[in-house]
Amino acid sequence: MGKIIAVHSYKGGTGKTLLSVNLAATFAKHGKKVCLFDLDFRAPSLFTILKIEKAENWLNDYLNGTCGIEKVLLDISDRIQNNGMLFVGLANPSTEAIRDMSSKDRKWEMRALGRLLALRNSLLGEKNFDYLIFDTSPGLQYSSINAIVSADLVLVATTFDRSDVNGTQLMLRELYDLFEKKTEVILNKVFDAPLKSGKDIQAKLNNIYQVPILGIIPCFCDVLKAEGNVIFAQEKTDHPFSKLLNEMANKINNNM
Amino acid sequence: MASQEIQGKKPVQILEKIRESLEKLNEKMEVMIELQKHGRKDLQPLPDAPLDVMTLLSMPDHLRKTAMTICRLGRATAEETSEQTHRARAVESAYLNQLVTMGYMKKERNGRKAYFYVERETQQEGS
Repeated sequence: MGKIIAVHSYKGGTGKTLLSVNLAATFAKHGKKVCLFDLDFRAPSLFTILKIEKAENWLNDYLNGTCGIEKVLLDISDRIQNNGMLFVGLANPSTEAIRDMSSKDRKWEMRALGRLLALRNSLLGEKNFDYLIFDTSPGLQYSSINAIVSADLVLVATTFDRSDVNGTQLMLRELYDLFEKKTEVILNKVFDAPLKSGKDIQAKLNNIYQVPILGIIPCFCDVLKAEGNVIFAQEKTDHPFSKLLNEMANKINNNM
Repeated sequence: MASQEIQGKKPVQILEKIRESLEKLNEKMEVMIELQKHGRKDLQPLPDAPLDVMTLLSMPDHLRKTAMTICRLGRATAEETSEQTHRARAVESAYLNQLVTMGYMKKERNGRKAYFYVERETQQEGS
Protein backbone atom coordinates (compact mmCIF):
# COMPACT_ATOMS: atom_id res chain seq x y z
CA MET A 1 0.00 0.00 0.00
CA GLY A 2 1.11 3.58 -0.65
CA LYS A 3 2.13 6.11 1.98
CA ILE A 4 0.96 9.43 3.35
CA ILE A 5 3.54 12.17 3.82
CA ALA A 6 2.79 15.34 5.81
CA VAL A 7 5.04 18.32 5.15
CA HIS A 8 5.04 20.52 8.24
CA SER A 9 7.08 23.24 9.95
CA TYR A 10 7.12 25.25 13.14
CA LYS A 11 7.25 28.62 11.42
CA GLY A 12 5.79 29.95 8.19
CA GLY A 13 8.03 30.74 5.22
CA THR A 14 10.26 27.68 5.56
CA GLY A 15 9.36 26.43 2.08
CA LYS A 16 6.77 23.77 2.89
CA THR A 17 4.63 24.44 -0.16
CA LEU A 18 7.60 24.72 -2.50
CA LEU A 19 8.93 21.40 -1.19
CA SER A 20 5.51 19.70 -1.28
CA VAL A 21 4.80 20.73 -4.88
CA ASN A 22 8.24 19.79 -6.13
CA LEU A 23 8.33 16.52 -4.20
CA ALA A 24 4.92 15.56 -5.62
CA ALA A 25 6.08 16.46 -9.15
CA THR A 26 9.31 14.48 -8.63
CA PHE A 27 7.46 11.36 -7.47
CA ALA A 28 5.13 11.66 -10.46
CA LYS A 29 8.10 11.98 -12.80
CA HIS A 30 9.42 8.76 -11.27
CA GLY A 31 6.24 7.10 -12.53
CA LYS A 32 4.32 7.18 -9.26
CA LYS A 33 0.65 7.96 -8.78
CA VAL A 34 0.60 10.97 -6.47
CA CYS A 35 -1.93 13.31 -4.94
CA LEU A 36 -0.97 16.61 -3.39
CA PHE A 37 -3.38 18.14 -0.86
CA ASP A 38 -3.49 21.72 0.35
CA LEU A 39 -4.24 21.48 4.06
CA ASP A 40 -3.23 25.07 4.72
CA PHE A 41 -6.83 26.25 5.04
CA ARG A 42 -5.83 29.59 6.55
CA ALA A 43 -3.58 30.55 3.67
CA PRO A 44 -4.37 28.33 0.65
CA SER A 45 -1.77 28.63 -2.08
CA LEU A 46 -1.75 25.57 -4.36
CA PHE A 47 -4.58 27.05 -6.42
CA THR A 48 -2.32 29.96 -7.39
CA ILE A 49 0.99 28.07 -7.59
CA LEU A 50 -0.41 25.39 -9.87
CA LYS A 51 -2.27 28.03 -11.90
CA ILE A 52 -5.53 26.13 -11.73
CA GLU A 53 -8.32 28.25 -13.13
CA LYS A 54 -11.36 26.44 -11.89
CA ALA A 55 -12.31 23.91 -9.24
CA GLU A 56 -15.82 22.60 -8.68
CA ASN A 57 -15.15 21.07 -5.29
CA TRP A 58 -12.61 21.73 -2.61
CA LEU A 59 -10.94 19.71 0.11
CA ASN A 60 -13.04 21.83 2.49
CA ASP A 61 -16.17 20.20 1.00
CA TYR A 62 -14.81 16.70 1.54
CA LEU A 63 -13.92 17.46 5.15
CA ASN A 64 -17.36 19.04 5.62
CA GLY A 65 -18.89 15.79 4.36
CA THR A 66 -20.68 17.42 1.42
CA CYS A 67 -18.86 15.52 -1.33
CA GLY A 68 -16.72 12.46 -1.92
CA ILE A 69 -12.95 12.73 -2.33
CA GLU A 70 -13.12 11.71 -6.00
CA LYS A 71 -14.97 14.97 -6.76
CA VAL A 72 -12.20 17.02 -5.16
CA LEU A 73 -9.28 15.52 -7.07
CA LEU A 74 -8.04 17.36 -10.14
CA ASP A 75 -5.91 15.43 -12.59
CA ILE A 76 -2.89 17.48 -13.71
CA SER A 77 -0.90 14.51 -15.04
CA ASP A 78 -0.66 16.19 -18.46
CA ARG A 79 1.94 18.50 -16.94
CA ILE A 80 4.22 15.60 -16.08
CA GLN A 81 6.54 13.81 -18.46
CA ASN A 82 6.87 10.03 -18.10
CA ASN A 83 4.05 7.75 -17.01
CA GLY A 84 3.43 9.24 -13.61
CA MET A 85 0.09 10.58 -12.47
CA LEU A 86 -0.34 13.76 -10.47
CA PHE A 87 -3.58 14.87 -8.82
CA VAL A 88 -4.31 17.76 -6.49
CA GLY A 89 -6.92 18.44 -3.83
CA LEU A 90 -7.19 22.18 -3.28
CA ALA A 91 -8.17 24.27 -0.28
CA ASN A 92 -10.81 26.90 -1.00
CA PRO A 93 -9.02 30.27 -1.17
CA SER A 94 -12.15 32.43 -0.67
CA THR A 95 -12.26 34.64 2.42
CA GLU A 96 -15.56 33.10 3.43
CA ALA A 97 -14.11 29.57 3.31
CA ILE A 98 -11.01 30.62 5.28
CA ARG A 99 -13.24 32.19 7.93
CA ASP A 100 -15.45 29.10 8.00
CA MET A 101 -12.48 26.75 8.47
CA SER A 102 -11.14 28.93 11.29
CA SER A 103 -14.32 28.59 13.30
CA LYS A 104 -14.73 24.81 13.40
CA ASP A 105 -15.36 23.12 16.74
CA ARG A 106 -13.68 20.06 18.25
CA LYS A 107 -16.34 17.65 17.02
CA TRP A 108 -15.86 18.86 13.47
CA GLU A 109 -12.11 18.47 13.81
CA MET A 110 -12.63 14.93 15.09
CA ARG A 111 -14.75 14.09 12.04
CA ALA A 112 -12.18 15.77 9.79
CA LEU A 113 -9.52 13.48 11.28
CA GLY A 114 -11.75 10.51 10.48
CA ARG A 115 -12.10 11.67 6.89
CA LEU A 116 -8.36 12.18 6.47
CA LEU A 117 -7.75 8.71 7.92
CA ALA A 118 -10.35 7.32 5.50
CA LEU A 119 -8.17 8.47 2.56
CA ARG A 120 -5.86 5.57 3.38
CA ASN A 121 -8.56 3.12 2.29
CA SER A 122 -10.19 5.16 -0.45
CA LEU A 123 -7.08 6.50 -2.22
CA LEU A 124 -4.14 4.32 -1.17
CA GLY A 125 -6.22 1.15 -1.02
CA GLU A 126 -8.92 1.35 -3.68
CA LYS A 127 -7.38 3.86 -6.11
CA ASN A 128 -3.81 2.59 -5.77
CA PHE A 129 -2.12 5.91 -5.13
CA ASP A 130 1.57 5.57 -4.23
CA TYR A 131 1.83 8.81 -2.28
CA LEU A 132 -0.52 11.34 -0.72
CA ILE A 133 1.32 14.52 0.21
CA PHE A 134 -0.25 16.89 2.74
CA ASP A 135 0.97 20.47 2.58
CA THR A 136 0.06 21.81 6.03
CA SER A 137 -0.21 25.06 8.02
CA PRO A 138 2.78 25.89 10.20
CA GLY A 139 2.72 25.35 13.97
CA LEU A 140 0.13 23.66 16.12
CA GLN A 141 -3.01 24.13 14.05
CA TYR A 142 -5.81 21.57 14.21
CA SER A 143 -5.61 20.85 10.47
CA SER A 144 -1.85 20.30 10.68
CA ILE A 145 -2.04 17.96 13.64
CA ASN A 146 -4.83 16.04 11.91
CA ALA A 147 -2.52 15.69 8.91
CA ILE A 148 0.37 14.55 11.12
CA VAL A 149 -1.77 11.94 12.89
CA SER A 150 -2.93 10.59 9.50
CA ALA A 151 0.56 10.45 8.00
CA ASP A 152 3.14 7.66 7.80
CA LEU A 153 6.02 10.10 7.49
CA VAL A 154 6.36 13.70 8.65
CA LEU A 155 8.83 15.91 6.80
CA VAL A 156 9.71 18.96 8.84
CA ALA A 157 10.89 21.90 6.78
CA THR A 158 13.15 24.11 8.84
CA THR A 159 15.81 26.81 8.51
CA PHE A 160 18.81 27.83 10.64
CA ASP A 161 16.76 30.71 12.07
CA ARG A 162 17.17 30.44 15.84
CA SER A 163 13.48 30.59 16.71
CA ASP A 164 12.76 28.03 14.00
CA VAL A 165 15.42 25.66 15.38
CA ASN A 166 14.03 25.96 18.92
CA GLY A 167 10.43 25.58 17.75
CA THR A 168 11.27 22.55 15.63
CA GLN A 169 13.05 20.90 18.56
CA LEU A 170 9.97 21.54 20.69
CA MET A 171 7.66 19.98 18.10
CA LEU A 172 9.91 16.95 17.74
CA ARG A 173 9.66 16.36 21.49
CA GLU A 174 6.09 17.35 22.13
CA LEU A 175 4.24 16.54 18.94
CA TYR A 176 5.79 14.03 16.54
CA ASP A 177 7.30 11.92 19.34
CA LEU A 178 4.01 11.73 21.24
CA PHE A 179 2.28 10.43 18.13
CA GLU A 180 5.21 8.07 17.46
CA LYS A 181 5.60 9.43 13.95
CA LYS A 182 8.48 8.66 11.68
CA THR A 183 9.99 12.13 11.24
CA GLU A 184 12.72 13.50 9.00
CA VAL A 185 14.06 17.04 8.72
CA ILE A 186 14.69 19.07 5.58
CA LEU A 187 16.91 22.07 6.19
CA ASN A 188 15.99 24.72 3.69
CA LYS A 189 17.46 28.10 2.66
CA VAL A 190 20.97 27.39 3.94
CA PHE A 191 23.04 30.46 3.07
CA ASP A 192 26.49 29.06 3.73
CA ALA A 193 25.90 25.62 2.25
CA PRO A 194 28.65 25.90 -0.43
CA LEU A 195 31.21 26.94 2.21
CA LYS A 196 30.68 23.97 4.48
CA SER A 197 30.92 20.37 3.55
CA GLY A 198 27.62 18.50 3.64
CA LYS A 199 28.93 16.24 6.39
CA ASP A 200 29.60 19.17 8.75
CA ILE A 201 26.06 20.43 8.49
CA GLN A 202 24.65 16.91 8.67
CA ALA A 203 26.52 16.24 11.93
CA LYS A 204 25.41 19.59 13.35
CA LEU A 205 21.79 18.89 12.42
CA ASN A 206 21.84 15.34 13.77
CA ASN A 207 23.08 16.76 17.03
CA ILE A 208 20.37 19.43 17.14
CA TYR A 209 17.36 17.39 16.08
CA GLN A 210 18.25 13.74 16.83
CA VAL A 211 16.21 12.56 13.83
CA PRO A 212 17.32 11.67 10.28
CA ILE A 213 18.06 14.58 7.96
CA LEU A 214 16.43 13.98 4.59
CA GLY A 215 18.11 16.85 2.80
CA ILE A 216 19.93 20.16 3.03
CA ILE A 217 18.87 22.74 0.49
CA PRO A 218 20.96 25.84 -0.18
CA CYS A 219 19.27 29.20 -0.62
CA PHE A 220 18.93 29.28 -4.41
CA CYS A 221 18.55 32.76 -5.90
CA ASP A 222 16.85 31.19 -8.94
CA VAL A 223 14.13 29.73 -6.73
CA LEU A 224 13.54 33.09 -5.05
CA LYS A 225 13.60 34.93 -8.38
CA ALA A 226 10.98 32.55 -9.79
CA GLU A 227 8.50 34.02 -7.24
CA GLY A 228 6.49 30.82 -7.11
CA ASN A 229 5.87 30.84 -10.87
CA VAL A 230 8.08 27.85 -11.70
CA ILE A 231 7.80 24.25 -10.58
CA PHE A 232 11.47 23.38 -10.83
CA ALA A 233 11.04 19.60 -10.66
CA GLN A 234 8.83 19.87 -13.73
CA GLU A 235 10.24 22.75 -15.73
CA LYS A 236 13.92 22.95 -14.77
CA THR A 237 14.90 19.36 -14.23
CA ASP A 238 18.65 20.06 -14.46
CA HIS A 239 18.61 22.73 -11.76
CA PRO A 240 20.48 21.72 -8.54
CA PHE A 241 17.25 22.24 -6.58
CA SER A 242 15.45 19.66 -8.76
CA LYS A 243 18.38 17.27 -8.38
CA LEU A 244 18.23 17.57 -4.58
CA LEU A 245 14.50 16.86 -4.67
CA ASN A 246 15.24 13.87 -6.84
CA GLU A 247 17.66 12.52 -4.22
CA MET A 248 15.13 13.09 -1.43
CA ALA A 249 12.36 11.33 -3.36
CA ASN A 250 14.67 8.36 -3.94
CA LYS A 251 15.57 8.21 -0.24
CA ILE A 252 11.90 8.26 0.78
CA ASN A 253 11.06 5.63 -1.80
CA ASN A 254 13.86 3.34 -0.64
CA ASN A 255 13.05 3.71 3.05
CA MET A 256 9.29 3.18 2.96
CA MET B 1 -28.35 -17.43 35.36
CA ALA B 2 -31.87 -18.39 36.42
CA SER B 3 -32.43 -22.08 37.19
CA GLN B 4 -35.38 -22.18 34.76
CA GLU B 5 -33.12 -20.84 32.04
CA ILE B 6 -30.52 -23.51 32.74
CA GLN B 7 -33.06 -26.31 32.58
CA GLY B 8 -33.56 -27.52 29.07
CA LYS B 9 -30.18 -26.30 27.83
CA LYS B 10 -27.39 -28.57 26.76
CA PRO B 11 -24.27 -28.69 28.97
CA VAL B 12 -22.20 -27.17 26.13
CA GLN B 13 -24.48 -24.14 25.98
CA ILE B 14 -24.33 -23.74 29.73
CA LEU B 15 -20.54 -23.92 29.68
CA GLU B 16 -20.48 -21.36 26.85
CA LYS B 17 -22.64 -19.03 28.93
CA ILE B 18 -20.35 -19.48 31.93
CA ARG B 19 -17.31 -18.70 29.79
CA GLU B 20 -18.95 -15.51 28.47
CA SER B 21 -19.72 -14.42 32.01
CA LEU B 22 -16.18 -15.18 33.13
CA GLU B 23 -14.77 -13.17 30.21
CA LYS B 24 -16.94 -10.18 31.14
CA LEU B 25 -15.81 -10.52 34.74
CA ASN B 26 -12.20 -10.76 33.62
CA GLU B 27 -12.51 -7.57 31.57
CA LYS B 28 -13.92 -5.71 34.56
CA MET B 29 -11.09 -6.95 36.74
CA GLU B 30 -8.51 -5.87 34.16
CA VAL B 31 -9.98 -2.38 34.17
CA MET B 32 -9.83 -2.27 37.96
CA ILE B 33 -6.20 -3.42 37.94
CA GLU B 34 -5.27 -0.79 35.34
CA LEU B 35 -7.07 1.90 37.31
CA GLN B 36 -5.07 1.05 40.38
CA LYS B 37 -1.88 1.12 38.33
CA HIS B 38 -2.41 4.56 36.78
CA GLY B 39 -4.64 6.17 39.37
CA ARG B 40 -8.19 7.37 38.91
CA LYS B 41 -7.20 10.70 37.33
CA ASP B 42 -7.35 9.13 33.84
CA LEU B 43 -10.91 8.08 34.29
CA GLN B 44 -13.20 11.06 34.27
CA PRO B 45 -16.33 10.14 32.30
CA LEU B 46 -17.29 12.80 29.79
CA PRO B 47 -20.48 12.16 27.85
CA ASP B 48 -19.74 12.11 24.10
CA ALA B 49 -16.27 13.56 24.55
CA PRO B 50 -14.77 14.18 21.09
CA LEU B 51 -11.57 12.26 20.47
CA ASP B 52 -9.85 15.05 18.58
CA VAL B 53 -6.10 15.49 18.15
CA MET B 54 -5.79 17.94 21.07
CA THR B 55 -7.44 15.36 23.34
CA LEU B 56 -5.06 12.71 21.99
CA LEU B 57 -2.13 15.01 22.76
CA SER B 58 -3.24 15.56 26.35
CA MET B 59 -3.79 11.86 27.07
CA PRO B 60 -1.34 9.78 29.08
CA ASP B 61 1.06 7.92 26.78
CA HIS B 62 -0.37 4.45 27.45
CA LEU B 63 -3.91 5.49 26.50
CA ARG B 64 -2.81 7.60 23.52
CA LYS B 65 -1.16 4.56 21.94
CA THR B 66 -4.37 2.56 22.21
CA ALA B 67 -6.59 5.43 21.04
CA MET B 68 -4.33 6.11 18.05
CA THR B 69 -4.50 2.47 17.05
CA ILE B 70 -8.30 2.50 17.07
CA CYS B 71 -8.29 5.77 15.11
CA ARG B 72 -6.10 4.10 12.50
CA LEU B 73 -7.98 0.78 12.37
CA GLY B 74 -11.44 2.35 12.59
CA ARG B 75 -12.93 -0.55 14.55
CA ALA B 76 -11.04 -3.31 16.31
CA THR B 77 -11.06 -5.89 19.09
CA ALA B 78 -8.58 -5.85 21.98
CA GLU B 79 -6.77 -8.71 20.24
CA GLU B 80 -6.40 -6.74 16.98
CA THR B 81 -5.28 -3.66 18.90
CA SER B 82 -2.67 -5.65 20.82
CA GLU B 83 -1.23 -6.95 17.53
CA GLN B 84 -0.52 -3.34 16.53
CA THR B 85 0.74 -2.06 19.87
CA HIS B 86 2.69 -5.22 20.78
CA ARG B 87 1.22 -5.15 24.28
CA ALA B 88 -0.75 -7.93 25.95
CA ARG B 89 -4.39 -8.38 24.92
CA ALA B 90 -5.54 -8.08 28.53
CA VAL B 91 -3.73 -4.75 28.86
CA GLU B 92 -5.31 -3.42 25.66
CA SER B 93 -8.68 -4.64 26.80
CA ALA B 94 -8.29 -2.65 30.01
CA TYR B 95 -7.15 0.52 28.20
CA LEU B 96 -9.97 0.24 25.65
CA ASN B 97 -12.55 -0.16 28.39
CA GLN B 98 -11.04 2.84 30.14
CA LEU B 99 -11.45 4.89 26.96
CA VAL B 100 -15.07 3.73 26.73
CA THR B 101 -15.72 4.78 30.32
CA MET B 102 -14.09 8.15 29.61
CA GLY B 103 -16.56 8.64 26.75
CA TYR B 104 -14.00 8.69 23.93
CA MET B 105 -14.95 5.34 22.44
CA LYS B 106 -17.90 3.06 21.92
CA LYS B 107 -18.04 -0.66 22.48
CA GLU B 108 -20.22 -3.08 20.57
CA ARG B 109 -20.59 -6.81 21.12
CA ASN B 110 -20.88 -9.17 18.20
CA GLY B 111 -21.27 -12.66 19.62
CA ARG B 112 -18.29 -13.29 21.86
CA LYS B 113 -16.20 -10.51 20.35
CA ALA B 114 -16.20 -6.93 21.63
CA TYR B 115 -15.43 -4.26 19.05
CA PHE B 116 -14.20 -0.77 19.93
CA TYR B 117 -14.58 2.27 17.70
CA VAL B 118 -14.68 6.06 17.70
CA GLU B 119 -18.13 7.38 16.90
CA ARG B 120 -17.69 10.11 14.36
CA GLU B 121 -21.37 10.31 13.37
CA THR B 122 -21.14 11.13 9.66
CA GLN B 123 -17.64 9.73 9.13
CA GLN B 124 -18.89 7.39 6.43
CA GLU B 125 -20.43 10.01 4.22
CA GLY B 126 -18.17 11.55 1.65
CA SER B 127 -15.44 8.99 2.14
